[in-house]
Parts: sequence; structure tokens; C-alpha cells
Amino acid sequence: MSADAVVVGAGLAGLTAGVRLAEAGLRTTLVGKGPGAMHLAPATIDVLGYAPDLVERPAAALPSFVAERPDHPYARLSADTVAASAEWLSAHMPPLAYVGTLEENYLLPTAVGVPKPSAFVPEAMAAGDLRSGSRFAFAGLRALKDFYPALLADNLSQAKLPTGVTVDARAVHLSDPGTEADVSPLGYARMFEDREFRSVVAAELLPRLEPGESVGFPSVLGLHEHRTTWLDLQDRLGRPVFEVPTLPPSVAGIRLFHALRDAFLAAGGRLLIGSTAAGAETKDGVVTHVVIQTAAARPTPIEARWFVLATGGFAEGAIFLDSYGEVHESVFGLAVSGVPAAGEPRFVPRYFDDQPMGRAGIAVDERLRPLDADGNVAFRNLFTAGAALGGAEPWRELSGNGLALASGFAVASAIVEWAS
Amino acid sequence: MATLHTDVLVIGGGSTGVGVARDAAMRGFSTVLVDRGDLATGTTGRFHGLLHSGGRYVVKDPKAAEECIHENVILRRIAADCIEDTGGLFVSTPIDTPEYADRFVEGCRAAGIPVEEIPVAEALRREPRMNPLISRAFTVPDASVDSWKTVWACARSAQAYGSRILPYHEVLDLTVEGGAVRGALVKDRRGGEDVRIDADFVVNASGAWAGRIAAMAGCDATVLPGKGIMIAMNHRLVNTVVNRCEMPADGDIIVPIRTVSVIGTTDQKVADPDDWQIARDEVQKMMDAGENLVPGFRRARALRVWGGVRPLFQDKAEGADTRDVTRAHTLLNHRQRDGVERFLTITGGKFCTFRLMAEDTVDALCAEVGVEHACRTADEPLPDSEPGRYYWLGSRVERREPTLHEDQLICECELVSRRRLEAAMLRRETVDLDDIRRTIRLGMGPCQGGFCIYRATGILHQVEKIPGEAANRSLLDFVQERWKGVQPILYGDQLRQARLDDWIFQGILDVAHLPGGWVGAA
Ligand SMILES: Cc1cc2nc3c(=O)[nH]c(=O)nc-3n(C[C@H](O)[C@H](O)[C@H](O)COP(=O)(O)OP(=O)(O)OC[C@H]3O[C@@H](n4cnc5c(N)ncnc54)[C@H](O)[C@@H]3O)c2cc1C
Ligand SMILES: Cc1cc2nc3c(=O)[nH]c(=O)nc-3n(C[C@H](O)[C@H](O)[C@H](O)COP(=O)(O)OP(=O)(O)OC[C@H]3O[C@@H](n4cnc5c(N)ncnc54)[C@H](O)[C@@H]3O)c2cc1C
Repeated sequence: MSADAVVVGAGLAGLTAGVRLAEAGLRTTLVGKGPGAMHLAPATIDVLGYAPDLVERPAAALPSFVAERPDHPYARLSADTVAASAEWLSAHMPPLAYVGTLEENYLLPTAVGVPKPSAFVPEAMAAGDLRSGSRFAFAGLRALKDFYPALLADNLSQAKLPTGVTVDARAVHLSDPGTEADVSPLGYARMFEDREFRSVVAAELLPRLEPGESVGFPSVLGLHEHRTTWLDLQDRLGRPVFEVPTLPPSVAGIRLFHALRDAFLAAGGRLLIGSTAAGAETKDGVVTHVVIQTAAARPTPIEARWFVLATGGFAEGAIFLDSYGEVHESVFGLAVSGVPAAGEPRFVPRYFDDQPMGRAGIAVDERLRPLDADGNVAFRNLFTAGAALGGAEPWRELSGNGLALASGFAVASAIVEWAS
Repeated sequence: MATLHTDVLVIGGGSTGVGVARDAAMRGFSTVLVDRGDLATGTTGRFHGLLHSGGRYVVKDPKAAEECIHENVILRRIAADCIEDTGGLFVSTPIDTPEYADRFVEGCRAAGIPVEEIPVAEALRREPRMNPLISRAFTVPDASVDSWKTVWACARSAQAYGSRILPYHEVLDLTVEGGAVRGALVKDRRGGEDVRIDADFVVNASGAWAGRIAAMAGCDATVLPGKGIMIAMNHRLVNTVVNRCEMPADGDIIVPIRTVSVIGTTDQKVADPDDWQIARDEVQKMMDAGENLVPGFRRARALRVWGGVRPLFQDKAEGADTRDVTRAHTLLNHRQRDGVERFLTITGGKFCTFRLMAEDTVDALCAEVGVEHACRTADEPLPDSEPGRYYWLGSRVERREPTLHEDQLICECELVSRRRLEAAMLRRETVDLDDIRRTIRLGMGPCQGGFCIYRATGILHQVEKIPGEAANRSLLDFVQERWKGVQPILYGDQLRQARLDDWIFQGILDVAHLPGGWVGAA
């Protein structure tokens, strides 16, 4: 097997790189053990939420943020790249219709009622923006155990917004039809795609709404028919309707995955989901093959000119810490930076304190190529994107999808430039 | 200040204390039990989960071995619902002294412990993951036992006999008048009020803290706190309790408990039962010990580590190694020792001998006050237990199955349903999710609460009608409590899990910025 480019990892970083490479005309193979974090994460593209204080204007905050953190991946990605990657995504995902700018963060309610900063958000989440205050009703679904609108509303009413406004929020518990006590977010997404179900929900909800209230639903408003589902509910209720992300699996994230996957296949990419990259062959500072392994077949090397490592870091097990406290990168045997010295603690007892291992990951050069332990480029034709990158603590900064998207976008640019 | 009157005040809500309260109440005494925390949050809630056959002590401490087998038989009768009848194996691994095995068999016979040697091949057939290089194997009636369930069953039984059980009530001082203890000054740690408890008799069952309580009455009781750690591994690496056939040592036992297996333990003298750490090398030692019993142990997923402090009584606090102190229990009559009447201290012992410890204590109490009531705790089963009806691994699934479509599953790992959770919240009258955890094992499985903590908080907020801030505090405390036991053993697949939890709490929910905020656990 051979290709021009092999991307390892089918998360937001890998798929973004894959779509762009395939669209640029490169024969691209994408190898993914599984679908990655997109099936679990809200589909918002959070660029920078906390630094460590709340970031209202990411574009303005980024220069000083990276100046203080020279090893942060954003120090290798310009603000223009970040903005361009988001624009690219909006253009490519018409059914999700991303909105937002790098200039200002939205503040969207989380399922527990915290105003959370996000730069680019799916259109159907935008009406949850809290910045100008407003009146909200949050709808609880009878059989969904992953959404507690009373707690959400209670906390939101206490929230201190930087704009100084207060939020008027309350819960409405629906007794939507059905007999099962336990319906998953995906189950509800299917139910909402049914017009009849929507009309019953709207009929129960409408008389209980106050004038001027926008309505927040858990993020389950349709999977394949999301946009029509959302617009139809909005019509029926005669007011803005928005989704609030909640526990995995993430229906909104799966929509994004489908959109990216379809774009990749449409551009002629070859997708190998369910395959693990188990190792690589290298020669003279260049990667020549990755070796992939599936449950059934024998290990197969794939030859290519360029390789992208987008394996998602510790969360996906591609970088792992063993029981002795040693860290390994499992595909290319790369050095992992940011690991405390032997004998030093990896973690500390208080959860919200700075965790010594928090920023461990792959260190890269300006073009996102992994560095070895001495700080030299490990392989000239290997690039890294997404959560595998070191130097960031994206779950604290709220920068996960922003980094994945921008770095996936940037490695594709670097390869396309090289190829031409 | 509120005042209570009672015949007997029991200090300590571990296995020993609830055992004493139940026994005394069954013999007709009015009793009050206090603990500074929730029930079974001292050593009893942090032990290894082994219902000893006594095999471990037959060579080193035959008296403790005899007590263990005696009580093993009784607990199987009265507390079957709290016991999983796993059986136990003693195996000679390559690092063990071969001669020990014969002394072990001799010791078992002398102590009355049913022991049988089985072929190595048979032992490996039963436990295929076990080290194939073992040279001998013996079966004994070890089992695994749930201390929370046992303690709460004892407490409910005591309550049915009229006892008052007061968790979160800390003894600040004892009242001594005319050469006798007359009661205690107690602080209600939830309500903030002080309570005076007048009692005709006081039993100090405060485990590793017994020396401090005794000192409040000017009495001496030297208890050496001996710290031990345990690590829970995901899955049942073994289905039988597996012991090294050797003098008691570190990490020599693996106990299968519900869906996990727990390796333990260590023994290290500490100065203060409230102030100690889990050290990195201690964890590494435990891992090596695990490899010796079950090769590949280090590649399995470690879920959680915790530690507890043994209450080991020594008349003079000198001995260096706490493992040399007897595991049999000690009853101190302070009238005879210190000239202070109406005051007994019961300490030492094991979880599995708690009933016997209680019987001895209440016998002595009867003698002190000059009454005769026979002990009945060996015959009357605990609530929910029937002789021979042991807990088994499928119990929870069995209970869940009939209502699978009628009730939500809130904690998938431990199969906790919504109705069960709501009932526990109402019954416990607590807004602390950690209390709920110990009652129904919420959040104790592989995901360590990643999914159920948000759900339980939402339900708590609804059921208990508490303000958002109180619910938030409970959520944040629970997150911290889970992290505490995970971070010292965080590697491999459990680190993947922890990252997912980081993303759920900090990414999806952004709990760090809840109103009321993160103030840090005490
Ligand atoms: C529950 C959850 C909530 C989140 N919430 C937010 C949020 O609110 N805001 C935000 O900005 N970000 C959030 N994120 C984070 C964000 O989704 C990730 O940071 C981002 O998706 C990382 O993308 P990635 O492509 O680098 O990695 P991933 O999405 O993890 O993808 C890694 C890919 O590599 C594959 N892989 C790994 N090893 C191999 C191998 N050896 N061979 C082949 N394939 C391999 C995996 O199967 C997967 O396809 C959340 C993540 C999770 C899990
Ligand atoms: C690591 C380890 C593993 C073990 N494994 C096993 C095993 O597998 N099998 C077995 O049978 N035994 C085992 N044991 C022994 C067993 O756990 C203990 O012997 C037993 O639990 C002690 O119970 P207790 O009630 O005496 O003490 P505790 O459970 O400690 O109870 C004492 C109580 O007193 C309370 N208290 C303290 N001060 C005050 C105060 N001022 N006011 C009010 N209350 C107060 C504490 O909060 C505590 O709850 C183990 C012990 C350790 C340390």
C-alpha cells in the first residue's frame, strides 16, 4: 500500500488535515483506531477560554498568552491561521453553519449552568449566548438522565457575567411521550427527527413559556436531520431555540464527525477506521512507512512521502504513562516533553492545582514537526497536530478544539506547500 | 446545649462500635453511638475486605487465628448478605520459604481451620492468571466481606433495638466525676451545636484513636497506628482470595471484591492516625508484589489506592515493627488499670472479629454494673441476611433486570438505579454525595464518577431541594475525593479515563467556575 500522505488519527485534527490534503489533490490515507474525541465532545471550537482568567477577546489575548508560554502550540500557530481554520470549517460544514469570530468569545451555558467561553459555535447553540442577559427556559426531557435544567437554571441565575448583567433562567420539565425510563442522547436525537414528536413537545411546552423567553434544550435536536429539526422547533415555539451540550456521547460532535468524514471521502481520501498504527519504518531521518494493524489482518506497512501524527495524546492512549512512571509515544517512538524528572510526582493531591504532567506531549518546531530529546527535528517529513502536542493544558484553557482545528489546518498547509 | 441521657455511650462508629451498640441494645441497655464522621469512615471503611479464615496468622499469632476462624463461622451465619463466599488459597510462590508450608498446615490444624492441599495444576485451573511457578497450594475458608454493608446492617439492627446512632458527632471531652466517667461533651459537626451526653457507662471503641479518647478521662491506652495501603485493580484478576504461603509480609494477598481485585497491604508505624501519606515507593512495592502473584499485574488497570491505620494495642509503646503486635483484640478495664470506673476501651483485633470484641465488651460491662444478660449476637442474623444466602457477583444485575426499562441507570459501573439513589438520599438525610457513595457504591467503579457525579448532583438538587451552591459544593468535593484516591496510581488506561473525566468536568461542564467556586477540600 502507498499514498502521498498518511494521517494517523481520525479526530478533529486528523480529519481536518486529511480533508485539506485530499482536496489539494494528494492521495491521502487516514488511519484511525476509532472516531476520537469528536463523538464525546461538544462541537464548539473553543480557542481560548481561560488564561487563567476568563478570556473575553481571544484575538486580543493570544499575543500575551503565547509570550508567557513559549512552548505552547499556539506559539507555533498565528492568530491568522486560527481564524482561517475556523473560516474553512464554516465553509465546509454548511449543515452546521458555524458562527462567531476570534474577536469575541460567546458565553454559552453548560449543563451545570456555568457561562462558558467559546469562539466559534454551531448555529444552533448561538442563541444561548448569555452576554447580554436575557430570559431563558431550559427544557428537561423526561427520560434523559444527562441533563438537569433546575440545577442549570439555579446556577445561571447566580452567575456573575463580565458584562454585569443578570440572567433570568428557569426550568421546565417535560413529560414527553414514551415508555422507556432511560433514553440516551442519540435515542432522543432520533425521536426529535420525527415531526409528530416535535409537535407533541411543542404543544406541551408552548403554554408554559413566558413572553420573551428563549428555550434551551439538551443537545439532542436531530442527528442526520439536525437543521430542519432545529428550525422547525423554533418555528413551532415562535422564539429562539438553542442546544446545550451535555455528557457524552455528543450528538453535536457526531454531526461534525459525519460532516468531516463525508468531506474527506468526497475528496477521494481513503479512510481506514478500526486500524491501529502500531509502528513505523524510518531511514536517514525520514519516515518511510507506518505499519498498521487490524484485528484480522497481518501488519501492513503503508509507504508515503508525508506523515501526520494526530493520535490525540494521553486520552487516546497513543502516548502513555506506564506503571513505573515512564512515558512512551507508541507509533514513532518520539520523545515526549514536559514529563517531570524520574522520582518527581506526576500528579498532585488537589485536583484543581497545577498538575506536573498536565502539559506533557510532543514538542514541535515552527512547522509542527516533532523534536527529539535534544530539540532537533526528529523526522523531516513527520508533522504533529491536535491533542498530541505538548505545552498546553487544553481542558483548563478551553482550547482543545481550537488547537486541534488550527494545527490540523496548519500541517496540511505545510505539506501542500512542500508538495508544490 | 442539648442534653441526652443514656445507659451506654459508645464512642466510634466503626465495626467495633456498631457491634457494641447492637450487642448492648439487644441486651436491653439504652445506647447512643457517636462518630466524628460518617459510620465506617475510620479504619473499617479503609480495610482490605477479607473475611479471614485465620490462615494468615496460624504461625505467627495463633490466638488471632483462633479468633478469626471462630468468627468466620459465625459471620457466615449472621451476615451472609455482606459476604461473598470466594474461598481462599494459600500458595507458595518462588520467593517464599518452602518450609513454611508445612508449618502452615500444622498451624491450621491446631487452630481448627479447615485446610486442604490441592495439586498445583488444580489451583492454576481455578485461577489461571496466577503465577504458574507456584509449588504448593492450599484451600481455606477465606471470603470477601463488605464492611459498609455490615456496619450499616448492624446500625439498623441496633436502631431497631432502640439505639440512637449519631454520625458526625465528635467527642471533645469526657466528663469524669467521683472517679467515674459520667458522659461526654460532643460537637455536632453538621449542625455546629454542642451536645452533652450523660451516660451510666462509656465504651471507647475509637480504634486507632482510642489512646486519645482514653486520655480524656486521664487513662492510658497505647495504640500504635499501623498504616497499610491497598490498590484496587479493575476486573477480577482472581476469583478466590489468594494469599502467599509465607510469614505475613507486604502485598501478600489479593482479594476479589465485587468487580475488582484488591491487593494489600503494607504496615508502617505512623505517629498520627490522621496524618500520613501514600508514598510512591510503597505503591511500586505493591505493584511488584502483584507481579509475583499474578504476572502481568502492572499492565492491568489500577483504579484507586487508599490506606487505613490499624489499631494495634501495645502495653508499652516500644516495638519497632507493628506487624509483631498481636492481631487479637484487647479489652481495657479502666477501673482496674487506672482507677476510673464505668469506662472500657476495646481496641486491636480485626474487622472479622468485631462481633466477638463486642461480646467481650458487653459481658464486661454487665459484670461492672452487676447485671446478667446473655449475648445473642451470634444467633440473630443481621437485617437482610439469611444463613447461607451469600452475596454473589450477579446480585446487582439480578436486582436490576426486572426494572431495566422502568428505572434509569445513574451509575453504570456499579449499577445504581435512580430509584435506589433517591431512596438513599432520603434515607440518609444528607447533602453529601460522599455519604451516598459509601451507602450504595455510587461512583466507585472504573470511571470513578465521571458520568454519575453530574447526574447525582442534579438529582440531589431536586430531591433534597437544596440551593445550587450546596449542590455545587457537593459536586466539587466529590470530584476532589475521587481524585485523591486516583492520582497516586494514575497511569496506563486509568490515565485515559482521568483525561476523559477532566474533559467532562472542566470542558463540558466547566465546574471550576461554578458559583460558590472551588474552595478546596479540607
Ligand atoms: C468528553 C470531551 C469533552 C471535550 N470538551 C471540549 C470542549 O468543551 N471544548 C474544546 O475545545 N475541546 C473539548 N474537548 C477536546 C477536544 O475534543 C480535543 O482536544 C480535540 O478533539 C483533540 O482532537 P485530536 O484530533 O487531536 O484527538 P482525538 O479526537 O482524540 O483523536 C485521536 C484519533 O487518533 C486515533 N488514534 C490514536 N492512536 C492511534 C493509533 N495508534 N493508530 C491509529 N489511530 C490512533 C484515535 O482513534 C482518534 O481517531 C473535549 C474532549 C472530550 C473527550
Ligand atoms: C490496611 C488495613 C487492612 C485491613 N484489612 C483487614 C481485613 O482484610 N480483614 C479484617 O478483618 N481486618 C482488616 N483490618 C483490620 C480492621 O480494619 C480493623 O481492625 C477494624 O476495622 C477496626 O475497627 P474499629 O471499629 O475498631 O476502628 P475504626 O473503624 O477506625 O473506628 C473508630 C472510629 O472512631 C471514630 N473516632 C475517632 N475519634 C473520635 C472522636 N473524638 N469522637 C467520635 N468518634 C471518633 C473514628 O472516626 C472511627 O470511625 C485491616 C486494617 C488495615 C489498616
